This record gives sequence, structure tokens and C-alpha cells, in this order.
Amino acid sequence: MRIERRLTTPRWLRVVVPVASLLAALVLAGVMELATGHDPIATTSRLIDRGFFASGALSATLVTATPLLLTGLAAAAAFRMLTWNIGAEGQLVMGAVGASGAGIFLHDQAPVLIIPAMMAAGGLTGAAWGAIPGLLRAYFNTNEIITSLMLNYVAGLVISYLIFDSHSYWRDLSTFTARVFPQGKYLGPAASWPALGAGSLVIPFGFLVGVVSAAGLFVLYRYTRFGYEVRVIGDSRAAGRYAGMRINRKIVAVMALSGALAGLGGASQIGDFRHVLDPRGLQQAGYGYAGIVVAALAQLNPLAVILVAFLLGGLTNAGYSLQGPDFPAGLVGILQGLILFCALAGELLVRYRVRFRRLMVAPA
Amino acid sequence: MKRPALFAVSVMALVGLSACGSTTSQASPSASAGPIKAAWIYVGPTTDGGWTTAHDKGRKYVEQQLGSKVQTTFKENVPEGPQVSQVIEDLVRDGNKIIFATSFGFQDAMDAAAKAHPNVFFEQATGYKMEPNLAEYFGAAEDADYLTGMALGAASKKGKIGFVAPFPIPEVIREINAVALGAQATHPGATVQVVWTNTWFDPTKEKQAAQSLLSAGVDAIGQGQDSPATGDAAKAVGIPWSGYDSDQTQYAPDIWQTATVYNWGPYYTKRVQAAIDGTWKSGSYYGNLADGFVDIAPFGKSVSADAQAAINAKKQALISGSFYEFAGPLKDQSGAVKVPSGSKLQLTDILTMDWFVQGVIGNPKGA
Repeated sequence: MRIERRLTTPRWLRVVVPVASLLAALVLAGVMELATGHDPIATTSRLIDRGFFASGALSATLVTATPLLLTGLAAAAAFRMLTWNIGAEGQLVMGAVGASGAGIFLHDQAPVLIIPAMMAAGGLTGAAWGAIPGLLRAYFNTNEIITSLMLNYVAGLVISYLIFDSHSYWRDLSTFTARVFPQGKYLGPAASWPALGAGSLVIPFGFLVGVVSAAGLFVLYRYTRFGYEVRVIGDSRAAGRYAGMRINRKIVAVMALSGALAGLGGASQIGDFRHVLDPRGLQQAGYGYAGIVVAALAQLNPLAVILVAFLLGGLTNAGYSLQGPDFPAGLVGILQGLILFCALAGELLVRYRVRFRRLMVAPA
Repeated sequence: MKRPALFAVSVMALVGLSACGSTTSQASPSASAGPIKAAWIYVGPTTDGGWTTAHDKGRKYVEQQLGSKVQTTFKENVPEGPQVSQVIEDLVRDGNKIIFATSFGFQDAMDAAAKAHPNVFFEQATGYKMEPNLAEYFGAAEDADYLTGMALGAASKKGKIGFVAPFPIPEVIREINAVALGAQATHPGATVQVVWTNTWFDPTKEKQAAQSLLSAGVDAIGQGQDSPATGDAAKAVGIPWSGYDSDQTQYAPDIWQTATVYNWGPYYTKRVQAAIDGTWKSGSYYGNLADGFVDIAPFGKSVSADAQAAINAKKQALISGSFYEFAGPLKDQSGAVKVPSGSKLQLTDILTMDWFVQGVIGNPKGA
């Protein structure tokens, strides 16, 4: 048996493979559910219902999808050039630090000023945090996988320091409750990002920011010179160099862009949902690492990232819904993993094909 | 927890994310007016061997006591932040009438949910916000911490005790102070060296912190963490260890001393029963040694008979009120008198405690 790359991909395969991989996932999940004594049909229908169709489920899915959308874009932007930014986690955290700082500083201003300032501050701090491994890669040839990963831990320490270990600008020192348990300063209502309501559906502002960013990234990478160079360098760094492209600058720019997207995700966490710099909650969620999965499933296509983030958001929420005394979190994780795994395996079949050939029998 | 990797590897990691846990029986019969539905939200896994395990033991106790009158469920590993609001909404949608949240970071979401769902009772552990349908509950751990400290002091030969601590916050600072004072009662001049982990639950970090203390030469070790990872590190070198939250004897029986434990079950049962009877009222419950909400775990086999007798005597004195650990004279780290002889700390002082007593090695501001 051999696996080889397809030279052309038939159109029908693009439709059949996703459907078939979804079916395969359902069958595998069903076998596992039967083996653990659960009704596969009831489980699957609850999964879908609680992810997308129950009252309020769609709004909840968008809340979970928002950070995944932005960190997914961050990963897609960097990975397209084979620049491995594993640091979206830390860039998101630093974006939250920047955005909440701006929100606290401008607390007595109008929302039209505060909200763009929070977005700008979040994007810029994220970009700066992302540019560090970019600069190290470009000019000192350090491995950006390691440096961007290590900076996640540094960002975690920075945010803990700001709230727990210092009397920083971000920390609330005035109230009695803040002395009992250290907490950040809560932002006023003027710093709350507006949520768009359409009937019972509530769309977080950050999700719209993510959709616009995805469209922007798509256009940037598809139709501009910058994007062209990124794609050339991604496909062949040597070819880019021979063509006279400035690879080092591109690495720094792409890392900063990636960091800015993750930083926007952090700004949205503050503006849309938390309204306070929350060191434990932000790190516990692991949005940065989940973004890598989103980008991989979306084949690094920014528009597909929107869809994948949405689906993954629903899958995450539905997972919590399934959980209970007879359905441990580990089993939920396995179910979710099966679905993602089948989706990714299916994509492999679109680009590669499996060929069966008779084994050569060695002469006796 | 989650470690990043490239493409396919990241997905495979998701598959294997937590392949632990086994299933029990099929889901219980569908709700037909009968049992009241009660739910618990946990920040860690029910298998953490400490904090969450203790709460889940409480949940099972409710099932045992109330039988068919109640149908319980739980959600574990719920991250603090927007996710918990969705988990609460989902539980309400499922018809749960009383919901317990067991991590401080769930408080804002619980408060918002209480306002949105006036017909559901909410209970928040370790918090402070209250509504007509949002109650608070926790316990005075410092008394039991003092007793744990006595065990560590008695077990230590050189009087050098280590302590793996989560966050430099008043709750933990008073815990460390109580341990230090207890240790000094059984081992005059004993010191308590502190390492901060900046996490409630992260077995890897907890173990590393414990190892750093052990290599610094401590000969007894305690913890304020959610998992028994500290005991794992101590077991390797055979150093006496005290745990936290649950009876963790099973993880290292030879070195086990005791631990501060919370007995959540009776409180949970009382509250669920009140919800059934329609007598549920909001409030702020602060349990203690006297009412059995806070206690120490059974002694390990290496705790001497003398130490056990001394600790039990002190426990009775704490219950009767004839002894109080935060009474003067108390000196701070620099040796300056903080609480003069004849006076004692008040509840407000304890709730906002931000200084270490003499003999604690470490920085109460963290780092």
C-alpha cells in the first residue's frame, strides 16, 4: 500500500470526503458510546441540539467561537509562511493586558473613543509580543517554535504579577473585597463592547471583528504583493530569496500580524465578556493552543477559519452539556477528538490517494 | 495540560487529552415531576484527589442521604470566564433547581445567572456576593491548619518545614501563618519556607515547587494546593507530608501526617433539602471545627501517640473557644510585635491578612 500526492483533485471528492468523514466520525463515536453504555442516537442528537439548536445555544456558541476565531486566524496567518507561531496564547494574554489598560485609562471617555482604543491597544501589545520571537528568528536564527512557546509562560507570569504580586495600574486596591481576594479593576459600562442582537441571537462584537479580520487577511494574502511574497516564501524560502524578497522583514511582519490578531482576541475577552483582567481564567481557557487546531482544520484558509471556529465553539459547548456523573469529561474529550481527527484525516484523502499494489515476491 | 504541537499532532493530542475516567451506569430515568435536580460546577477534575474530589464526595453524600428525592449532576474542568455562564445556562435548561459553584472565579457568572433566573437557587463557595437566590458558603480552615502545623512541627527533626502555596492572597497567607504557629507550638523555633505556584491545580507545577523545597533542605512539607502532587515529591525522599482538602493517605501512607479537610456533604444535604421543602434562604455560611464543617484528616501511621494526643487536646480547646491561634503576642517576619499580648486578631484582620508571622520564610506579596 502506498500513499501518494494527487496531481489533480476531482471536484466530486471535495463534496464526498467531508460528508464521508463526518459519517465515519459518527460511526466511530457511536461504537464508543455503545461500548460505554450510552445511546448513540440520543447522545449525538443532544450534541447537535445543545451546540446549535437549543434556545440560546447559537449565541453561546458564538461566545466560545469568538476567541477561537481570532487565535485561529493568528495561527493561519503565521503558518501560511511556515512561520510557526505557537505563542498565540501569550499574545492573547498581552492583548488583554493592553486592552484593559486602555479601558482603565480612558474610563471617563465615550464608548466611541474607548472601544477603538482598546482594540488598538490589544492589537499593538499582541503584535509587540509576537514580534519578539519574529525578531529573534529573523536576526538571530533562533527557533520561533521554542521562543514563542516560552513567551506564553512569561506572559502568564506577567499577568499574574500585575494582579497578584504588585500594586499595579491594573489591580483594584480600593475595595474591601479586593483586599480579601486580589482582582483587577472592573471596566465601566462605557468600555463594554456592544453586542448585536438579531431576535434571540446575540452576536458578540468581537466575533464581527473576527469576521472582518478574516476577510481582511484573505484579501491581504490573496490579492496583495505582501501576500504574494508570504505565499512564495511559504512554498519555498529559497525561491523567495532568489527573487530578492526580504525574508527577515517578512518574518517579523508576519509574526507581528499574527500576534496582533491574537491580541485582538484578548481585547475581545476584556471588552466583550470579562470586563476585568482575569489572570487565572484567561490562562485556563487555552484559546491560543486551540487556535492551532482551528487553523489546521481550516487548511490555513482565513474564510474557512470562521466556519471551523464556529463549529468548534458549538462542539466545545455541547461537550460541557454532555458531561455528567455517567459521562465523564474524558469521554467527552475523546468524542470531540474523534470528530476532529476524522475531519483532518478526510482532508488528507483529498490531497493524497491510497494505492494498493501487489507486493513483489522475492525470488526464492 | 495542553501542549502545542504541529498540525496532526495537535489533533491527536485532543484525542488523548484525558483518556481517564470510567463510566458507570446508564443515565437515570427522565425527570417526571419527581426528584429535584441539583448540579455542581467544578474547576478541576473530580479525580484531582483534593479540592474537587472533596466537593464531589459531598455531592455523592447528598445522593446517599436524599435518595430518590434528588437527581444530581456535575460539570468538571470548567474554565473560569465566559464558559461558565454557558454551563450554568445549560444546567438551567436541563431543569436544575439548585446549582453549586465551587471556585471563586465562577462568582461573577453566578451573580448574573441568579439575577436572570429568580426561580433557581444558586450557591457560591468561597465568594462574597449575595442575592435573594444566591448564597455563599465556606469554612474557617485556619483552626484545622494550626493542628496540621502541629503535626508537621512534631514530625520535623530540624524544624525546617516547607509549604507549597497557590496564591499570595489573604486566605492562603492566614493558612500559612496558622501552620507556622502550630509547628512552633510542637517544635519551638520552627520555620516555614514558602514557594508560590500561582495556580490552584497543576500537579506538574506543584511537584516542581515541592522538589525545590526538598532540595533546599526542608524535612517536613505541607501544601495549600488542590492535588496531592506535593506528597508524590515527598514520598520519593521519605519526608513527612501533610495534604489539603481531602484525606490523601492513600497517595503516600508512610509519610502521611494529616490535612485540613472540608466536610461539604452535610451542608449540601441541608441546602438541597431546604430547596425541596421550600425553606431555602440566602445567606453566608462560615463553617468551623465546632460544627464539623472543617476538620483534620485521620492521622498517618508515622504520627506519634504523643503528637496525636497534643493535637486532639488542642482541637478540643479550639472547639470550646479556650484557645485561639491568632491571639497575641504575635510577631511579624521582622520580629516587630503585630499583635500585643492580651489582644487578638478580629475577623476583618484575618480576612485581609497580608503579613507573615515570625518564622515564615517567603514574601507575602508573592515571588
